[in-house]
Amino acid sequence: MKILLKITVLLIPIIFIFMFFFLLTEKKPYPGADYKEFPIPNFNLESLYESEPLTNVDLRGDYIINIWASWCITCRIEHPYLMNLKNKRIPIIGINYKDERYDAIEWLGRYGDPYDKIIYDFKGLLALDLGVTGAPETFLVHDGVIVAHYQGEINNSIWSDVFDPIIKEKEMFK
Amino acid sequence: MKFILIILFSINLSSGTLYEFSSDEDEKRFNSLVKDIRCPKCTAGSLASSNAPVSEDLKIKIAEMINQKKSDEEIKSYVVSRFGTDSLYEPEFNKNTYILWLSPFIFLLISLTIFLFRKRA
Amino acid sequence: MIVEISHFLSLLATGLFFLAGYFSLFVSSTSYTSNLISRTYSQAFLLLASSFLIYVWLAVTDNFSVEYIANHSNSALPIFYKVSSIWSAHEGSMFLWIVFLSIWGFIFNIAVNNNDILKPKTIGIVSFILVGFLLFLLLTSNPFATILPIAPINGADINPVLQDPALAIHPPTLYLGYVGFVIPFASSLAFLINGDSNIKWEKSIKKWSVMAWVFLTIGISLGSWWAYYELGWGGYWFWDPVENVALMPWLAATAFIHSLSVSIKSSHLRIWTILLSILVFSLSLFGAFIVRSGIIDSVHSFANDPQRGLYLLAFIGIIIVTSVLLFISRFSMIKPSSNIKTLSKESFISINNILFGTLIFAIMLGVTYPLFYEYLFDQKISVGAPFYNAIFIPIVILASLFLFLSVDSKWSRGITIDLFKKPIAFSAIFSIIFVITISFLFNTTDIFILLSIFAGSLIISRYFIEIFRYLFNKKYLNPYSAIAHLALGLLLVSISFNSLLSTERALNIKLNEYEEYEDMKVYFKDIKLIEGSNYDAVKASFNIEDEKGNNFNLNPEKRRYFTRGQITTETAIHITPIKDIYLTIGDQLDDGSWIVNIQINFLIRWIWFSAALMSFAGIMLIFSKKKSNI
Repeated sequence: MKILLKITVLLIPIIFIFMFFFLLTEKKPYPGADYKEFPIPNFNLESLYESEPLTNVDLRGDYIINIWASWCITCRIEHPYLMNLKNKRIPIIGINYKDERYDAIEWLGRYGDPYDKIIYDFKGLLALDLGVTGAPETFLVHDGVIVAHYQGEINNSIWSDVFDPIIKEKEMFK
Repeated sequence: MKFILIILFSINLSSGTLYEFSSDEDEKRFNSLVKDIRCPKCTAGSLASSNAPVSEDLKIKIAEMINQKKSDEEIKSYVVSRFGTDSLYEPEFNKNTYILWLSPFIFLLISLTIFLFRKRA
Repeated sequence: MIVEISHFLSLLATGLFFLAGYFSLFVSSTSYTSNLISRTYSQAFLLLASSFLIYVWLAVTDNFSVEYIANHSNSALPIFYKVSSIWSAHEGSMFLWIVFLSIWGFIFNIAVNNNDILKPKTIGIVSFILVGFLLFLLLTSNPFATILPIAPINGADINPVLQDPALAIHPPTLYLGYVGFVIPFASSLAFLINGDSNIKWEKSIKKWSVMAWVFLTIGISLGSWWAYYELGWGGYWFWDPVENVALMPWLAATAFIHSLSVSIKSSHLRIWTILLSILVFSLSLFGAFIVRSGIIDSVHSFANDPQRGLYLLAFIGIIIVTSVLLFISRFSMIKPSSNIKTLSKESFISINNILFGTLIFAIMLGVTYPLFYEYLFDQKISVGAPFYNAIFIPIVILASLFLFLSVDSKWSRGITIDLFKKPIAFSAIFSIIFVITISFLFNTTDIFILLSIFAGSLIISRYFIEIFRYLFNKKYLNPYSAIAHLALGLLLVSISFNSLLSTERALNIKLNEYEEYEDMKVYFKDIKLIEGSNYDAVKASFNIEDEKGNNFNLNPEKRRYFTRGQITTETAIHITPIKDIYLTIGDQLDDGSWIVNIQINFLIRWIWFSAALMSFAGIMLIFSKKKSNI
């Protein structure tokens, strides 16, 4: 009985210390990245420019979705990289999130438009269905299924760390 | 400046359904759900305690779902499917969480047993 | 540069503390060395205190060449917040933690005579602990780092949420509690090292332990009170990891002071008492580790660095493992004389130790489980209020029942507890009637709430009977225990009623119109844009008329602070003895109306009052003159 007590009292702290040591030193998954797969939710919204309706049917194949807004300062930082992607012929669908049409169009006029199509999500409903918590965020879509999601602005290193592995694995953008 | 302030605090909604419930139970369900669901954007905190725009949107969506007579389970699974398994403050009771839910009581039982069966005076 | 003087003083202090520790543990003790150790410690303390005071001066005089002050303070802040900005983040709050630890040591050093056998080793152990933390501070979390040659013109400003009086004093009060347990801890180790089992170390340590416990109780209550009025959602306890990590030492400390009484009175539970003294301090250290290592996400966590986490883990690991090894090697010294009798007071306190131990275990499990879950299953979960409530409510009710039965128990004697003895029967009957009345009056069958109210009322009525007997029959009464336990009963009852009766709703009201809620008319008088010293805001005015025709105004605000663009809600609260009317404004709708969140929180002030009453009992005990008090 005494021996049991002594052993327990010694082992418990030692076990805890090792546990926390492991937790502190383990490699954390990439912050902001999420690889949960789910199909694009149904939506029925308008395009930014001409108020023409856009639905799921209009989106096909492999592309990325980018959540942006004219009031989002970080989006301006990410913008050049998006133009870069456009030059590499990666299709980008933009979702204009909780923005005023006029402000959004003016922003694109000033900085450039990297998007193939832009969905005007004034109320943020589609974004909510996608699990968006703010701007900018980017989704990688393969055949109508979301395969990666990154919260925050993307750049070259994030693209290669977060999206490239999936693109190669699923042989996208051929 | 002041104009921006008003815009900052305005949200737009579909008419009528904000937080209006057809019964007291529904309202209680809403209040209780909103306390047990994590704010998707904050480091920590429930929807109830959060001012973030996405929390406001989510609360409106939940209120809508309650008015559409969706059950608590359906609402919770909607939130989990979009914002992650850590969105709920109540961990599920499944084979991965048996240890969590049961071990305090096992601990208590074992300690009490040891105490009660000790050498008596 | 003045900051370098402060830095140097801290370095010197570290060296002197090391000497004090070395003399106490590695040099044979004589009355000369006792005096030497005491003086060395005091010198070291004075150096450290001077270092800190200079640092405070640097903050107050806006010396932005110091990186930490530049990052957390601002010339526009009132002096009070310039000072409190020191402990608003990791490096500065660690500095404060260390200074407070040294203060406890210093007061102990002055108050206790150098002839006391355990004193030199106690001071020595405190000194070594200080050395470890000072090295941590100076090597990994240096508050003295400078931005040179060009210092910023102004500081970055403190988070607006922290510009609040309660929040300014909450950390210092809490730290005083956390670090205060270094004295019983060091004393218990000194006792073990010394080897003489006849020394009454428990008795000498009692008041110190209660004082530290009082600070912890007040510190935690301040945090809860602040969260209620500042965060805008009307809750007073969130089971946030950092709240939990303060609750664990509090539970251990409460168990410890009870166990201490037993060891003082009848030499039982000495093993428990020593283990608990190690546990309380370990949990305090663990708390510091969790908050500062970045391992857990919380509203409270300081921004972090795994390297700091590793250092802290190693340091804390050394302290705990050394103490435990010491305990094991001296185990035979502490064996009790005889066994605990059934149904004696000692046995009730033992059961209490087990119940509190379970609660501590549950919290530790809840806080660490998401970490392990993610590591093992690659998926995230959250463990929050539903889990903790499920564990706490039954166990607290059980503990209360045992407390109720224990009032009749005696030291070192088992008695049969006759359930039909008058006080027990009276209290039980009264409580049952009370609960049934509540159940009908408020139309509730929630078994947990009713049981909690039952448990609370058992305690309150039982102690009232004891007080009655003391006043009219001159029966002996331990006033500290009576008041503290009454406070516990009140706490249970307040929490239960708050949960049962509180209501809330999000109204939407247009300007110059009103809505009705729970027999009150909420009239939206006015809304305007205002500018404060470092924010602009939307301020709404409401006039509320309650069912009795009383009228009062509430003015909630939504502020945006200039420096960081942060938006906060300022609540408006109307306090009455039984309830709070609590108002915040939400957003504006398409049709121009505003969302107004209104809550009625019942008995919430009674919750903090109970905590204050408990602390008061502790303070009474500390200042009491009776020699043999428990």
